[in-house]
This record gives sequence, structure tokens and C-alpha cells, in this order.
Amino acid sequence: MAPLILAFLAALFLLAPILIVVPMSFSTAISFQFPPPAYWLGYYRKFFTSEAWLEPALNSFVIALGAMALTMLLVVPAAFGYVRYRFRGKSVVNLLMMSPLIVPHVVSALAYYGFLGRLKLAGTHLGVIVAHGVLAVPVAFLVITATLKGFDRNLERAAMSAGAGPLRTFVHVTLPVLRPGMLVGALFAFLSSFNEAVVALFIAGRGAVTLPKKMYESIRLESDPVIAVVSTLLVSAVVLGVLASLLVRRRPSPNV
Amino acid sequence: MAYLRLAGLVKSYDGRVNAVDDVSLDIARGEFLTLLGPSGSGKTTTLMMIAGFEEPTRGAIELAGEDLTRRKPYERNIGVVFQNYALFPHMTVARNVAFPLRMRRFPRAQQAMRVGQMLRLVGLADYADRYPRELSGGQQQRVALARGLVFNPDVLLLDEPLGALDKSLREQMQVELKRIHREVGVTMVYVTHDQTEAMTMSDRIAVFNRGRLEQVAPPLEVYHRPRTRFVGEFIGDSNFFRGTVDPASGGRVELDGLGLIQADPEACRRIGGGLVDVLVRPERLQLAGPALPNTISMKIAVIVNYGDSVLVIGDAGGHPIRMRMAGAPLDAVREGATVTVAWSPTDAHLIPHV
Repeated sequence: MAPLILAFLAALFLLAPILIVVPMSFSTAISFQFPPPAYWLGYYRKFFTSEAWLEPALNSFVIALGAMALTMLLVVPAAFGYVRYRFRGKSVVNLLMMSPLIVPHVVSALAYYGFLGRLKLAGTHLGVIVAHGVLAVPVAFLVITATLKGFDRNLERAAMSAGAGPLRTFVHVTLPVLRPGMLVGALFAFLSSFNEAVVALFIAGRGAVTLPKKMYESIRLESDPVIAVVSTLLVSAVVLGVLASLLVRRRPSPNV
Repeated sequence: MAYLRLAGLVKSYDGRVNAVDDVSLDIARGEFLTLLGPSGSGKTTTLMMIAGFEEPTRGAIELAGEDLTRRKPYERNIGVVFQNYALFPHMTVARNVAFPLRMRRFPRAQQAMRVGQMLRLVGLADYADRYPRELSGGQQQRVALARGLVFNPDVLLLDEPLGALDKSLREQMQVELKRIHREVGVTMVYVTHDQTEAMTMSDRIAVFNRGRLEQVAPPLEVYHRPRTRFVGEFIGDSNFFRGTVDPASGGRVELDGLGLIQADPEACRRIGGGLVDVLVRPERLQLAGPALPNTISMKIAVIVNYGDSVLVIGDAGGHPIRMRMAGAPLDAVREGATVTVAWSPTDAHLIPHV
């Protein structure tokens, strides 16, 4: 019983600051105030009708999709190479793949600011996609290498002795079996970009304002309670994403 | 009449140590051949080379006169059953079994028919639409067997297929496998480290040790006339004595520390002379009767009762002796007692010492 209570308290401690935005998003107060004086849906209406909020939301979505695609393009081949082959400097490669996680985001942001500026990509969707795509590499790499390590190579041998060449083995056996892990990796990459603020602040400029950047600017300039709405939506999106990933992991997909 | 022929197979992973060291083996069509040996003896590597998953460093593999050595696994017509089943988790039982037929582009109608046939053969006709995770270990292995057989392979390879099952299920599956072998008639090469499995199922056993073949022979010959001391020790329970054959004495062997015994004169003549290892199986030892020439006096240290038989472990002048007696122990046989044991001359198997 005691451990349960302790776990509950710990969860409360971790979640309370995040969950507090939920009631605030329904608040009637014109600024941040807790507890809210009364409840309404006015700020939700404002969010869903204001161009100033919807455009960053769309930007974030498009950029997250692009970053996810880029991350997967980088990580999937790297993960196969890393897990399946022995080579010199393997641990260095691992460290390199993890480096976006180790380098402080402000430093990466500054570096991208200079680098993308020279390529005339600062303030463009593509620029943010490139930066976010790289930043999401560690989390996707971790998830996908873990999936690959758990993959039974005998499945591929069984497929080959059944008459399937390398390509058909990959398409009919390797990929379907790995798909849940790949989906989870992709989802994490998506969320990592969708939630990223620091790098976006530096490089998104006026042209590719993302939701977190817009929130930051909004809180500095106007402390608009719509932020609580956006926060609530973001948290819900993450929760849904994590639930979805749990679901994918539990149940291998039933058909090829 | 070799159907599957391994000629001087060598596999080395690092260029120095040979995991498989010059293995040559002729396997007849329809034979059930077991590769038996301790782990790391090269038996599985040999199987993987037959399957095409490992490329031999040297040597050749031929099937019905055709050279397979450099052919890819999917260009061979060889089925494989793995210890961990290796069923495709995202396919139903029927789709797993149909997979080799799909890959080999069998006509649709024939696919369904063959899958049905195979599932009936392994007794899983009612499980076609289940997923592998919904089956027990034994059932999963039957599916793997059906998948390995469905495309009429030239050879079926089995890599410790019963290793993950519990004892009673293993015995049941041994019988089942023999039945399937009889019904299908396919050539089977079976890898195991379990000597009982090898004894009960095989037409012939190939005993591996440190990458080399020690002996290839039918089970009873391997048991009663092992070619090396390793084979005698690895298969079954054994008593080994060191001895010297005198070529002129007509079957007399001098055992180190135990005196002269009478062995089979014919065997002694074949060996000629010199140092030998003398093998006497524990069940061939008996309490001494007057008619037996070879007697040893031993002090009983431990008696292990198996119900249907008794294992008596004793000591004769520093030599450990193991004797197995059918039925319940006699009164004279108790721990601490000294008894005289004996064996008949033909029960001592002589292995030239190298």
C-alpha cells in the first residue's frame, strides 16, 4: 500500500504544474489566475478562429511531419548498420548519434542560426525541418535500435530458406515485424519537433513561426490566456501520442 | 549412395580457429541423420552451412550431384526448423505455412491444398486462423515443421527443435517427428546435444567434438562400439579403464592397477597391441557369478535408486566404478559393503589409445 501512495504523490508532484493549465484554459479571467473565477470556452473559440494562432499550429504540424520523415530517413539505415554489423569505432558512432541530446539546445540553436542563415534557410520551413530532424535523431535512434536488437534474425533466415530473396524478406518479414517499433520512433520524432521551442525561437524567424515560438512571444508581449488553451491541447496531443505508442507496442499488427 | 554430400567442410570465423574442421559426410536419400555433440562442437555451424546461412571457408556441399556450396539459401530447396520456432508473428498459422509456397509462386489452389495437407499432417487443422502467440510451444514447433515441409524440400534441417520444450512434450514430439519422417520420407538432418534424442530417432548419428567428426554410425554401434573415448563418454554412462593389449596372449588385456582381464580375442587381434581405453557400460556389469572371468572387487560408495533400476557407484583401488542393475537393490548391495563385480569378455570394448 505504502509504495502505491508514494507513487501517487510522485506522479502528482510531476504532473500538477502541467495539469494546472487545464482548468486555466477554461477560465474567464483576462490574465493568468488560479483558481479561475469562472469557466467558459471563450479562449478555445479564440484559438480556433484566430489566424494568428492557427497558422503557427499548421506550421508546427507541417514541420513536425517533415522532421519526422527526415529523422526516419537518417535513423533507420543507421540503426540497421549499428545493430547488425561490427566495425571499428562503433561506440563513437553511438556517441555521435546521441550528441544532439548532449549538446545544449541553445548551443545547437546558435549553430543552426549561423549555418542555416548562410544557406538562406533561416526563417523557412525547410530550415526548421532540417534542425528538428537532426535534434530528434537520438530519441528515434534509441527506440529503433532497441527494437532491432530484439528482432530475431532467425525470422529472416526462415524467410530465406522459404525462398524469399533479401528484398522480399525485408518487405514481408523484417519490416512488418519491426513496424510497431518504427511507428513509436517516428511518433517520438514527431512529438520532439512539435514541442521544440529553443531552436525554433532562433531560426523560425517570421516565416515559419511554430506553436511553441508563438506561445513564447505571446506570453512575453500579452500574457494571453489562449496560451493555456494551446498548452492543454499540446499536453493532450502528447498524452494521445504516448497512449497510441503503448497500443502499437502491445499488439503486433494482424496482417502483412 | 550419397544424396547430400559434405566434402572437407571448414568454417573459420577468425582465420585461426576452425569452428568446423574438415567435416566430410555422405547422407543417403530419406535418411534421418543426427549431428550430435556438446555446444560449440560445430554441429550447428555445419547445419547453417547446409542451409546456406553460413558460407564455408573451404570444402563443398553437394545435393544429388549438384554443387550447392555458393548458392544462396533462397536458391536451395532446403527447409529449416529452428529451436525458437521463428514463426512470423504477424501471420496466422495458415499464412505462415503458405509463406514458402507464396515465395515460390505455387498456384493459388495448390497453395490452399498443400497448407491443409500439412496442417493435418502435424495435427493442427483446426488452428489455421490462429496467430503463433496464441499457441503453445509444442504447437508452434508443429507449425514450423509444417512450414519447413510444405514446399517439398530436398532436405529438412532441424536445429535443436525440441530444446525449448519440457521433457514429456519432448518425448511426445520425438515420436511425432519419427512418424512424420516415415510418412513424408524426406531426408532430415537433425542437430541436438541430447544423446537420448539422437539414440531414439536417428538412422545414423554423427558425433561432433571440437569441430571434427568423431564417428558416424547407427545409434547402437555408436553406443556399443564408440570409435573414440570422447564418443564413449559423451553417449551413455560409462566405465573407462586404461590398459595394454598383449598381441600374443589371445585376448588378454592388462588393466592399469586392476590386473589382467579377458577381452574379445578378435578385437585384440584387430588392434594388434599397445595402449587401449577399455569401455564397459555400467549395465553390463553384474554381481560376480562363478562363470565370469573378469572380476573386480569394489567398495560401494553411493546407491542411487531410480525405481526401475539402481545405479551403484563404487571404488576399486582408486578407480571409480559405475554399475547399473535392473529392479530393486539386493540385500548384499548397500552403501559401505564390498562386492565383487564382473563382466563378460565381449562386453569390454577396446579403443586404441592415441
